[in-house]
Amino acid sequence: MQSSHNRSFTSATHTYPMLFVCVGCVVLGLFLFSCSSIPLTQRGTPFGEESALPPRYSMVFIIHGDGDYLYHDPRGNARRADEEALVGATRVAVQSPQAEVFIFHERPRRHFLLFFPLRDGEFYYYRHGRLLAKESYRRDQGPSRFDPEVELYHRFRAEARPQLVRLFLYFGHEIPEFGGAGYDASYSKRTFTVDDLADGLKRITGDSTKFDLIVLSTCFSGTPHTITTLAPYGRYIIASPDNLHLSYFDLDPFERLDVGLQDGDVSAFAKNFAHHAFDRLTTDIQTAVTVVVYDVDRVRGFLHSVDRVYDHALTTLKGQTPGSIEHCDCAEDPVYVLPGMSEGLDVFYRPPRFGRLKHKQNHSGWECWRRREQHALASQPLEPLRK
Amino acid sequence: MLARTVFGAIVMMFVLVQAGNAVGKDDIQKYFNDTACKVKATTDPMQKREILNNSLQTMSKALDIVESSGLISKDDRAGIDRFKATLQEKQDELTGSNGYERVSDEQLNAFSDYVVQDMEQAAQTITISVLAAVLIVVLLLLI
Repeated sequence: MQSSHNRSFTSATHTYPMLFVCVGCVVLGLFLFSCSSIPLTQRGTPFGEESALPPRYSMVFIIHGDGDYLYHDPRGNARRADEEALVGATRVAVQSPQAEVFIFHERPRRHFLLFFPLRDGEFYYYRHGRLLAKESYRRDQGPSRFDPEVELYHRFRAEARPQLVRLFLYFGHEIPEFGGAGYDASYSKRTFTVDDLADGLKRITGDSTKFDLIVLSTCFSGTPHTITTLAPYGRYIIASPDNLHLSYFDLDPFERLDVGLQDGDVSAFAKNFAHHAFDRLTTDIQTAVTVVVYDVDRVRGFLHSVDRVYDHALTTLKGQTPGSIEHCDCAEDPVYVLPGMSEGLDVFYRPPRFGRLKHKQNHSGWECWRRREQHALASQPLEPLRK
Repeated sequence: MLARTVFGAIVMMFVLVQAGNAVGKDDIQKYFNDTACKVKATTDPMQKREILNNSLQTMSKALDIVESSGLISKDDRAGIDRFKATLQEKQDELTGSNGYERVSDEQLNAFSDYVVQDMEQAAQTITISVLAAVLIVVLLLLI
């Protein structure tokens, strides 16, 4: 009995390491498989052979999803804003027979077995409505924020044709004008500001022409500083100076650009898109809805005249605690109310249907900062603004 | 045995942190969404008003308890103060006090959506820690 027990014990001591090795191999295999990019059969097809003509439109979507993006629709369904945006971008890509579409989805970082970080970016490349490449990548590679995205963009982009219309769309929370730590929930020390976005745009456009249209599907992006910073890289910018609900701008007009942008009039397309987005948002959203089209060339005069004032305000506010400052319509601060303030803007605005700003009938299209006043904490409604 | 216990403890901590993060942030938003669903499910304006009022009051009470618990940081207290102020504005508007127009009976469904959407947007600017958020959620279950 004793010897039998010893034999069993000895056998077990041999079996356990083997078992661990086997399990380890399986786990490692699964880990490596989870990290690998997923080459598609189409990857073997040289680009350009899918269609005789190079794309007429180039669209780049960056969808930030590394944060709190939960919202509820009016029917009470829980939704994740980044996943909804990904569905919308994919629909656009599939239904754009004359476009190349880059989609970057920045996801929360997950770990395998607690310690091994998995890839936290997903890249999709469509051309002529077909998915040609899908890769996962690590977002924290390189000193600049958009290094991986810029590298993938230049690796896959089609040869530009002279009349190529270039569109860039960013989806996420408010892009900070200063500070910016904590924008990514997975990287608490990593910072992200509008300057990082401008750097990414600069490296995507390279020496070539600007984007024809930049769409910022975020809250509070219609500020003098944000538009000034992005102005060198876009002809038109669509942004929301105020809060933007996480259901974002509706992308329907981007489907079938060959119809919507047939005559190449980006200005008309931008206004049509903004109007459409505004109409869709105001159907379901009870908070304020503000969508603005900025004609970059025509807003330069105003931006130049308020540049110093705004930068001074930013410098002053940098040291304040987040709770002590708030956004406001620039028109509420007399220093910004200048003759050219509304030059080059198409403003679509509806006040919140409830709350202390429900009587505010206009928005200048520009958002500024101010110190939070006591009224906000004392729960006193503001007097209706009269303009 | 010790190694197994330590490994188990690490896994448990990881799971709790992940769960806490999700529970805290998401469940506060889910709370207001559930309120909106209940408001829309009833046709009686009196009941709608009562559901909204109770929901806002319960949340305010939970915030008061967390704030006075001594378990949270100074930053959390500032965040909770702003959260409470935002809730108080909703209560004032619902009842028509402190200078607000009273929300009409016909607008109560829309107002419940407004509360959900405004609190979702406020969550982006009002920062509270995971610990504070979890405490709030636990209290909402107990009150």
